Amino acid sequence: MTESIPTDSAQAEDSTEPLLTVEGLRTKFATDAGSLVAVDGVDFTVEKGETVCIVGESGSGKTVATESITGLIDQPPGMIEGKIRFNGHSLTSMTESELRSVRGNEITHIFQNPQEAMNHCYTVGWQIVEAIKIHDEDVTDAEAKARAVDMLDRVGIDNASSRFTDYPHEFSGGQKQRIMIAMALVTDPDLLIADEPTTALDVTVQGQILQLLNDLQDEFEMGILLVTHDLGVVAQIADRIVVMYAGKVMERGSVFDIFDTPSHPYTQQLLDCLPGRGSAVGGIPGKLPDPTNHPDGCRFAPRCAHAVDACKTGSQPEEITIEGDHSVSCVYYTAGYDRSVVEPPSSESTGKKTEVEYSDD
Amino acid sequence: MGLTRYVIARAGWAAFVSFTIVTITFLLLAFAPNPSVSEAATQAALQGGDPAQAVEQERQLRGLDQPLHVRYLDFLEGVYTLDWGWSQNRQQPVTAALWEGIYYTAQYSIPWTVLTLLIGPIVGVYSAANMYSWRDHLATGFAFFGWAIPNFFFGIVLLVIFGVYLQWFPIQYSTSVPVFSLANVHQLFLPVFVLVTGSIGSVMRVSRNESAEFQNAEFMKTAKAKGVSVYRAYAYHVMRPTMVPLSTTIVSQLLVIFLGSSLLVEIVFGIPGLGRITFDALINQDTNLVLGSTLLFTFIAVVGNLIEDLVFTVLDPRISYDDR
Repeated sequence: MTESIPTDSAQAEDSTEPLLTVEGLRTKFATDAGSLVAVDGVDFTVEKGETVCIVGESGSGKTVATESITGLIDQPPGMIEGKIRFNGHSLTSMTESELRSVRGNEITHIFQNPQEAMNHCYTVGWQIVEAIKIHDEDVTDAEAKARAVDMLDRVGIDNASSRFTDYPHEFSGGQKQRIMIAMALVTDPDLLIADEPTTALDVTVQGQILQLLNDLQDEFEMGILLVTHDLGVVAQIADRIVVMYAGKVMERGSVFDIFDTPSHPYTQQLLDCLPGRGSAVGGIPGKLPDPTNHPDGCRFAPRCAHAVDACKTGSQPEEITIEGDHSVSCVYYTAGYDRSVVEPPSSESTGKKTEVEYSDD
Repeated sequence: MGLTRYVIARAGWAAFVSFTIVTITFLLLAFAPNPSVSEAATQAALQGGDPAQAVEQERQLRGLDQPLHVRYLDFLEGVYTLDWGWSQNRQQPVTAALWEGIYYTAQYSIPWTVLTLLIGPIVGVYSAANMYSWRDHLATGFAFFGWAIPNFFFGIVLLVIFGVYLQWFPIQYSTSVPVFSLANVHQLFLPVFVLVTGSIGSVMRVSRNESAEFQNAEFMKTAKAKGVSVYRAYAYHVMRPTMVPLSTTIVSQLLVIFLGSSLLVEIVFGIPGLGRITFDALINQDTNLVLGSTLLFTFIAVVGNLIEDLVFTVLDPRISYDDR
């Protein structure tokens, strides 16, 4: 599957390397209003078979960050900088045609709005078969169809073989997202990038889709990089969480770290927005900074209740490791500041219990 | 299932529409003075006979003394059995005259239609893919030029430049040239060019604007994420949905030019086709031939619209035929 991709001999056989490593990712767009930096130096990794969630409010650069990985962003006007390594290969040094052989093959995508994500002029079967045939030129029509029908069946489409010739508009929203998942998994990818896969669906269907992703992840042993602003989804599916705000990483850690001891004021306020948890009924006051003109210092400082002068100068504070994988980018955790100001009250002492249940995967 | 019923219903409507038009034509003709009757009267008066008697005789000869409904049924029978009468001017049956016209009209209409269908959408989609580049501006400028300039005038200008001054192309159309020969291509080049520039403009504009919408559609991102190449994405994922609104434009545009401009272009280039025959029939008051060509053009328009409706439903699977 990967023979067309040049092997980077230095690290190709390094088994300790994560499935996906993103370092210093910076994606900007040339606009009439100047250069818009949507993602500004972001690092994260995805291990084989694990689920990493990127969370943050709308406009914080989550989608752009994930679409930069396989170069889905149109360039120009987009411009992607940084190092992206996948399965021992550098995606950033690949040509467009090499990237194309990775896209839809080893790294696949599902998107926010299944209503619009399929071409309305072709049957769902045609569109799944297209995904197979692009990466496997030797496959026969009958074989490709059999694989597509099998995949439709596995994502829970009833009467898959007769529905193969139906058009997208003949399916419900939840079914369409299932078909998108089938289209994404039919090439047996190593990494699935799911960009708000449940946002456009109603709540009962959301749970089913997440459950399906969870089940298929075990079956296909793939890593999932999931973008969402819905912390309920995160709690249900994530192994690790990356909290993004205005193109920067604010905090990262395991799902337990983030939900039990959210350390960045932004993460705390984000969690307070969850129903039944915290008091931020009206959301977080203020709005995202102008992406063409980011503030100095911590990006969140203008909206932060604890901001001091040091938060508003220089650049985003270095990430400070709290323990293990859990790290935070906040001035209060650097030397000379009292971190107890922003530290979360421990859940035992307040007796407040997290209402969100974790899935045990 | 649903499609078959829809096609039958649509074809039925087309038949009804053409029937209505035939009826209206008959009524207009029945209440208009008949030139051959007045001619008979004039002739009788000139030769010292009784004009009133001559009129009566002529009316009897032509069956005009029969009651209206009998004449109507007669007329209907004639129309649907292709007995369209005698062309006074050309001294041959109307159907034979029209058939001769179609022979010459088809020689430039077919290449013109094929070229419009091929070049228009491709240039339009290419324009959209390279929007606001100099190529796009060039194509847009060409489209508006062809759209704006009257075909017959453009034809005259081209004839003067390339026919008279440069002498690259023959000025007069020759019917003695074999249909499938380079000489025929040579003499039909200018008329086909004029008509293509006239019809291609709106086809290019519509395909450019429609595909501009589809090239930014979510499904294009899905296609890219699947690993589809840019060319394939445009050929399959943009071209196909663009064809749906475009089919309407193409049919109506071809009909408009076929029914209107081709007449003028035939006169400019001296092609003895349908347009030329209609024009001569009008000038010479050849009623039967005028009627015949009017009916022919109407039928072409009705059939064109029928095809447009059918193509539309076949192209866009979301349109349901069940409830209509």
